[in-house]
Amino acid sequence: MGEAPLVMSGATKRFGGFTAVSNLSFQVPEGQIIGFLGPNGAGKSTSLRMALGVMQPDEGSVSLFGAAPDIKNLRRIGFLPEERGLYKKMTARDTITYFARLKGMSAADARARASELLDMTGLGAFRASRISKLSKGMAQKVQILSTLAHRPDFLILDEPFSGLDPMNQQTLEDLIRAEHKRGATILFSTHVMEHAERLCDGIVMLARGRKVFDGTLDAAYATLGRGARMAVEHGFDLAAALRPKGFEAQRAADKGPGDSWRVALPRGLGAQDVLRAALETGAPIVGFQPEEARLRDVFVSLVGEAEAAALDVPVAADVVEAA
Amino acid sequence: MRNIYLIFRRDFLGYVKAWGFWLSLAAVPLFIIIGAGFGYFAASSSPVRYYTVVEPGNVISEAIDAEFRRSEARALEEFKSLSGRSEGVQTDAASAAATARKFVAVPAPAATIDELTPYLAGEKKVAGPGGEKPLFAALILSPDGRTLEYWSSDVNVSGLRFSAETAMRDLSRRDALVAAGLSSDFLKTADEAAVTVAEFRPRETAEQGAEVTTADRAPAIVAVALAYFLWLMVFSIIQYLLMGTIEERSNKIFDTLLTSVKLPELLSGKLLAVFAVTSTMMLSWGLFAGVGAAFGASQSPALMEMIQPFIAAATDPALIIPALISFMLGYVLYGAIFMALGSLCDTIQEAQTLLSPMMILLMLPMFAIFIAFNDPGSPVIDYASWVPLFTPFLLILRMPSDPPLWEILAQMALMAVTTALIVWGATKVYRAGAVHGAGIGDLMGMIKGAAGMKPKAG
Repeated sequence: MGEAPLVMSGATKRFGGFTAVSNLSFQVPEGQIIGFLGPNGAGKSTSLRMALGVMQPDEGSVSLFGAAPDIKNLRRIGFLPEERGLYKKMTARDTITYFARLKGMSAADARARASELLDMTGLGAFRASRISKLSKGMAQKVQILSTLAHRPDFLILDEPFSGLDPMNQQTLEDLIRAEHKRGATILFSTHVMEHAERLCDGIVMLARGRKVFDGTLDAAYATLGRGARMAVEHGFDLAAALRPKGFEAQRAADKGPGDSWRVALPRGLGAQDVLRAALETGAPIVGFQPEEARLRDVFVSLVGEAEAAALDVPVAADVVEAA
Repeated sequence: MRNIYLIFRRDFLGYVKAWGFWLSLAAVPLFIIIGAGFGYFAASSSPVRYYTVVEPGNVISEAIDAEFRRSEARALEEFKSLSGRSEGVQTDAASAAATARKFVAVPAPAATIDELTPYLAGEKKVAGPGGEKPLFAALILSPDGRTLEYWSSDVNVSGLRFSAETAMRDLSRRDALVAAGLSSDFLKTADEAAVTVAEFRPRETAEQGAEVTTADRAPAIVAVALAYFLWLMVFSIIQYLLMGTIEERSNKIFDTLLTSVKLPELLSGKLLAVFAVTSTMMLSWGLFAGVGAAFGASQSPALMEMIQPFIAAATDPALIIPALISFMLGYVLYGAIFMALGSLCDTIQEAQTLLSPMMILLMLPMFAIFIAFNDPGSPVIDYASWVPLFTPFLLILRMPSDPPLWEILAQMALMAVTTALIVWGATKVYRAGAVHGAGIGDLMGMIKGAAGMKPKAG
């Protein structure tokens, strides 16, 4: 494996008395898709702007391809900012061409690449349309294509899915996979855990400017105590029945018929083992559901329910799109 | 350099492709043509108006007629002087148009104002060389002969009244001379015998001649024109720089740009683009004026003779080199200020709150330009030219007065240092606005603690 495209070491950023990012250290290994997760206001965008050299950290350091961010190594990066914007009077093709040229492509290559990308994403018919004439989703697509046009080694996407409808979200997921397949390293921030679950090799979780997790998806799930949901007829004490078998059960909020219980799974035992044990005790089972590990649950277990609730607050772009 | 070129190219084409640019480009020549057309139309289409004089005899009528004849003779002389035509062709259509009489005397249809009122009000008409028309004016001599009453329904057209006043003064002078026993030619002879005042200026070499000509006045006029040109250019970049930067800020495009180009490259490209846009406009207007002048000169050698000293003054290195340096530094100085201010604004409305103080600041050198037009050596210009914000305009104005070389160099150095400081400060403000989202409200804080800016959270 080659040099890590991004290494942040103890990066801290303060705005007056407010610490937006505190002592953040992580690295993005070459060739991986890393999710940068956290609720709105967690410090994701500030971290990414520090990673790109747009902002300087007050403490700590940032290394892009082994050096401090500068125009030379930034040419190897494609950046999609959270706050989207394009020149409204430029055409779709000119926009992509312009940003590709700023990243070092020749005029002819940039124009050809712009046409290729527009055709590939179904926007070929709109290549000569001004951005102001495109729908919001189309314009957003053009901006994403502008980010990819120069075939960057490292893609940094800040909330790339916000503001996109489900169909365009799928298109973007496909584009990210295609770029990854091409060999690009990808770091994207999101507050929607499902995207990370589908795409990422690894994740970095942030809450209130601090890193709360950094590792693979499996390692993230492993932080959760696994369990199973079981419903029994009213009045049956499942905890007392399972204790001799080595399982701990706790009453849970009732969902459906009977009394609901959550049974923790000891290391090395699976959901089938607890079901078998319950049947052996003669428990009157009316429902059974092995727990499926979700990143949101990981986040809850790391920062608490109150902090995790912020994940459900949509960003402004989502609100606009929904409206 | 490549990035500066790319930023420059995009911005320049963005401005040039806008309708507003072409409208502005066409506006000045169009207004000149329309203005000239209106002037010609107004002169040629001005209706022939009838007037009558109520007097015993026809002394006043003849005096007014004589005054009209003198005016027409002066107009013909001016026309001949400008067109360079000989006596033999003076009766052609152009000279006829230049001297056509717009007020024609007709016999009085009545003797009192009560009887004349229907003619003045348009209820009745009088016959004349242009057919039947209402009476435009009636001049009635009072019974004691001391007042000539001027009656007209149209008080805004005053040409006839002015001619009558001049005619009355001449008539009065002639009557006084006759009463004193002198002939009417006496005053004319006396006027011709008056000592003439010739204007000279001392010169280093006798060969140049000492008499003052247009060539002596041309440098001051050209300096005023150049200062005004720079002022106009700075004035016109305000909207481009403010609007362009506001658009980028509201489009949230800075982060994308700043991960592709360095901030100084971005600012340089933008300043160059707006400079090119305004230069394109000014050059186009200049070209229009040049072609117009060349055409005029080809039609009139006298006009060519008139323009020559101005061309010489405009190409004099002693004026043009300081002018170009002032021009460049002034442009960068004001351009950086406006771009920085634009980066703090989200909307045009916000920008307008900043425009008022900047307009006042820009109006001050404009007043100085007016002063210089009337009095190029005014001490006000000398003192004000030491204020670096005004130096770009006022140093040009001082050049025809041959200020000491050390003053020129000192003012240029001061201007260069100030420009460098302003560009440094503007870059900081621009970064705060573009990168950190600072707004107008943060401006005072930035000025107070420029070294330790505390931007908003991103």
